[in-house]
Order: sequence, then C-alpha cells, then structure tokens
Amino acid sequence: MTVASPAFAANPSVEVDDVSKWFGQKVAVSGVSCSFGPGLTGLLGPNGAGKTTLLRMLTGLILPSQGAVLIKGQPPRTNVARYREIGFVPEESALYTNLTGQEYVAYAARLSGISNPDQVARRAIDIVELGDASDRAVGGYSKGMRQRAKVAAALVHDPEILVLDEPLNGTDPVQRAHLITLFQELASRGNTVIVSSHVLQEVERMTDRVIAIVDGKLAAAGDISAIRRAMSDIPYRVAVDCDRPRQLGAALLGNDAVNSVSVEDGRIHVETSDLAGLGKVIAGLSRDLDTRLSRFSPEDESLESVFRYLVGRR
Amino acid sequence: MTAFIAIGRVTIKQTLRLRRAIGLLLLAGAPAFMYLMAVLSTRGNLEFSDENAFEAFVGITIGTFMNIAVPVVTLIIATSVLGDERRDNTMSFLVLRPVSRYTIAAAKIFAAFVETFAVTGIGALALSLIAAFRLDDFRYIAPLLAGTAVATAAYAAVFVPLGYLLKRATLIGLSYVFIWENGIGAAVPAVAGISPWRIGLSATTGLAPERFVDELPTFATGSITPGAGGAALKALVLFAISVGFISVFLRNRDLAN
Repeated sequence: MTVASPAFAANPSVEVDDVSKWFGQKVAVSGVSCSFGPGLTGLLGPNGAGKTTLLRMLTGLILPSQGAVLIKGQPPRTNVARYREIGFVPEESALYTNLTGQEYVAYAARLSGISNPDQVARRAIDIVELGDASDRAVGGYSKGMRQRAKVAAALVHDPEILVLDEPLNGTDPVQRAHLITLFQELASRGNTVIVSSHVLQEVERMTDRVIAIVDGKLAAAGDISAIRRAMSDIPYRVAVDCDRPRQLGAALLGNDAVNSVSVEDGRIHVETSDLAGLGKVIAGLSRDLDTRLSRFSPEDESLESVFRYLVGRR
Repeated sequence: MTAFIAIGRVTIKQTLRLRRAIGLLLLAGAPAFMYLMAVLSTRGNLEFSDENAFEAFVGITIGTFMNIAVPVVTLIIATSVLGDERRDNTMSFLVLRPVSRYTIAAAKIFAAFVETFAVTGIGALALSLIAAFRLDDFRYIAPLLAGTAVATAAYAAVFVPLGYLLKRATLIGLSYVFIWENGIGAAVPAVAGISPWRIGLSATTGLAPERFVDELPTFATGSITPGAGGAALKALVLFAISVGFISVFLRNRDLAN
C-alpha cells in the first residue's frame, strides 16, 4: 500500500520525482516520488532501507541514477547558491577533529558567506548548548557533543531547509529532548525540516508527518495514524485494562466486532477489524458487567508496528 | 576570497600535524644532512676540492632532493588534502556550501602547495646554505628555492586530484615518481618534458650560474630547456588543468558512497 497524495507537501521546497539510485548491481532507492514543505517530516525506515541515500540525493551529495531532485525548483548541483538555503547533518562523523567547536562552526559560517562568522557561530553553539566545550577540539567530543556540533554547523547560516540524517544518534535523553524541541521550533517558524531515523519513538515525539522507506521504496506516507487506518486489510490490536478482565474478555468472545481475545497479566488484548464498533461493544459490556475501564488503546498504532507491518508485507 | 582562505587554513591545520610535519622535515632535510656529512667528513682533505664539493652539491640536489624528497613530501601532503576529506567523511561539510567548485579546487591545491613548500623550502634552503658556505658562493640559494617552489606546485597540481580519485593514491604516486619519472623519464627525453621535478629543475638552471647547468647529467633535464619563466608557466598550466579536473569531478561525481 502506498498512500499517494500524503507523500506530497502542499507547498514543497524539496521535490523528489521518481528517483532511483543504484550502486553497481545494488538498488538503494527505487522509484521514490515525494515532496517536503514547511514543517517537520520524519523519514523513517529500518537500517539499510535507503534513507541516507535518499537524503544524500536531496542535498546533491550524490546524483540520482534516474529521476530528479529539485530544491526550490532547481537541482542542487547546478546552482551552488542553493546551498545557502540548505543545512545538512550527515549520519557519519563529518568533523574536522583538529578544530575546536567554535572553529568548526565558524568554518561552516565562512563557507556559507556570512560576514560575522565568529559571532554567528557562537550563537549557533549556544543554541545547541555546547558553549562550555566550544574551545575544545571536536576530536575529543563525545558522540552526543559531536552530533550537536554538526547541528550547530548546519544551522549557522539559518537555512530554510534542514536535512538531518539520524541527528539524535548518540545523544542522551536530555540532549535528545532539547534537539527535538529545537527541530520543532524551526519547523513551526516555517522551515522545511526533514529528519531521518530508524528509532520510531523518536519520530513519534517529533512529528505526525511521516514518509516511510522500506527496501528503497516508498512504503507509506502521511499522518502516522492515517497510515495505520489505511491499512484496513489488517486487524487492529487493542489493549483494554479494567478491574474485571476475565469477565469482560469472556463477554467479548463471539461478538461480531471481535476477531480474537486473550487475557495476559490482567490485560485484555483484542484483535478487531472494526475499531469503532469494538469501542461501542466494550462500552456497553462494561456497563452491563459494572466494570471500570482504565484503558482502551490501539496497541499497534505506534510506528514500530506500522514498520513491522510494512516490512513484513513486502 | 573568504572561502578560499578559510578552506586553505583548515586544510593546512588538518593535514599538517606535528608528528607528520617533523617526519616530512626530516625527509626534506635528508639531502642537506647528507651533503653536510660529506662536507664535514672531507674537511681538510685536499683531494676533495671545491670542484668536488660543487659536484656533490649538484649530484645531491638532483639525485636525492629534487627527484625524491620533493615529490615524496608533496605526494604525502597533496594526496591528503582532498583524500582526507573523503576518508573522514567531511566532504559533505565542504561541498554542501555556496562555494564554487573552482574555489574549492583552487584552495585545496594552493593549500597543498603552501604546506608542502613550507617543508621542501626548508630542505632547499638548508642544502643551498651549506653549499654556499662550503663553496663561498651564495648564488645558488634563490635558484634552488625557485626550482623547489615550481616543482612543488607542479606536483601538488598532479597529486591533489590523485588523492581525491584513488584510495591507494600514495602507492600510485610513488610508482609514478619512481617508475615513470625516474625510470622511463630518465631514458626517454620526451617524457622528461612533463616531469614536475624536471620542470622545477629547469627553473633552477634558468636562474643559477652557468656552472650549475654544465654540471647536470643529461637524464636530469631531458628535453627541457632551462628557463624560470617557462617552468613557472608550465606549473601554472598544470595548476589550471588540475583545478578544472577537480571542479568537473566535484560537479559530476557522487561525493559520498
């Protein structure tokens, strides 16, 4: 299943048109079409799905074998001035280890043509909260600090489009929360922010808009729950917590809205093809049985399950 | 210009680390040390005349300095200025900026030249100073420095793209120096015409007193006519071709795997 229209942003700044990339016999990305506009979009996929290859094509770091990538209507390679509008955080280290954090970010500013690079670099470093370590060589930074230094270098020229490849790798929970807030703020200001990740919970915290890549192909796109709902050909799993789980579980058996029921560790797990119908049935039964519901939630509306489904389906 | 200078500065800072700099200085200074040993060991030896000392100076200049020390030092530095960007995955940092590909290429080659000449220039200065004091003739210092600069620039123009294109650039470069230039180039005068160290030597011979030219063995210059202007022009042409090549590669090749 491919949710076609949600793959395209209403006001796109980055357009991907039937893009494929192969390295020798290996196809890394195959026939992907989508677009990215203002706001935050999560690019999801398991390791090796083709996310990094796609992001590298978006930035012009590698060329598509077929198809085209346009940044504001132009291929990035043909007009280097476009790079004023792009900030890129690569997955790999990409650090000049002999430079201090300040020098590293100021170098990015100088290459971006900024007139007061040292001041602007200082500001970018403060944004990622790396000020205390800015005079140390980046070669001695921890993984999380390196990630933040890369983010600062990508932000230093205030780009309209920010492409981040696994930017939260190696960051601790506090740093992660800070970076997620930063990306969300940039997106809310109208920047196009594209964040790739294979850690599904990360993306769930950041955004609802997702483009999922599996085996180099566009597997799904759109709102996470919409993607899940569009998968109407597979049943939902719902978790129900109440004070009398065995009685409610037994009552659910044989109901039209219920495919199967199990009770494990005091929690009822229901499989259904009719989520709305199940909700009504459970509400009625809990009233009849005089039981108190404390939870009724789909178990698999997480990206993890969407992923698992998409990967398994292919 | 800001980007050109910034790229040059960072390139030098990244590639000329202290240990490496010391090693390269020892290599570039080895011919001067050899000559110094020869001079000191023959002090007071009347059979080792000024003429012999001059022959030794020319022999070491051609036999170890210009055709081994200069190319090897340049090879090590020049292949790393873009090669390290690829190896360290910093290529994306450099190229995804609003900087023309020509600027990147020119800055990289120029940085390789400046960095290498800082090393080979010291070797040339040491060698020619020792000769100057031994021969009581200071007229060889500037020509040797000029020739070294030209050879270094020409080699930088050849080795920077090599380092970018090939993973085993050092090995290929050494083969180029020892097999192509010093092997085939010594036997075939036409090949000698496109040998960077011989281009540099032609600048030295163009500026040095006639006596230096008379002392040169034929394999050293091949078909090259002595002349500083022509040598500098050849180095500039090589520089321009190299900038063009690298720019084309940066535009048309994948810059990551």
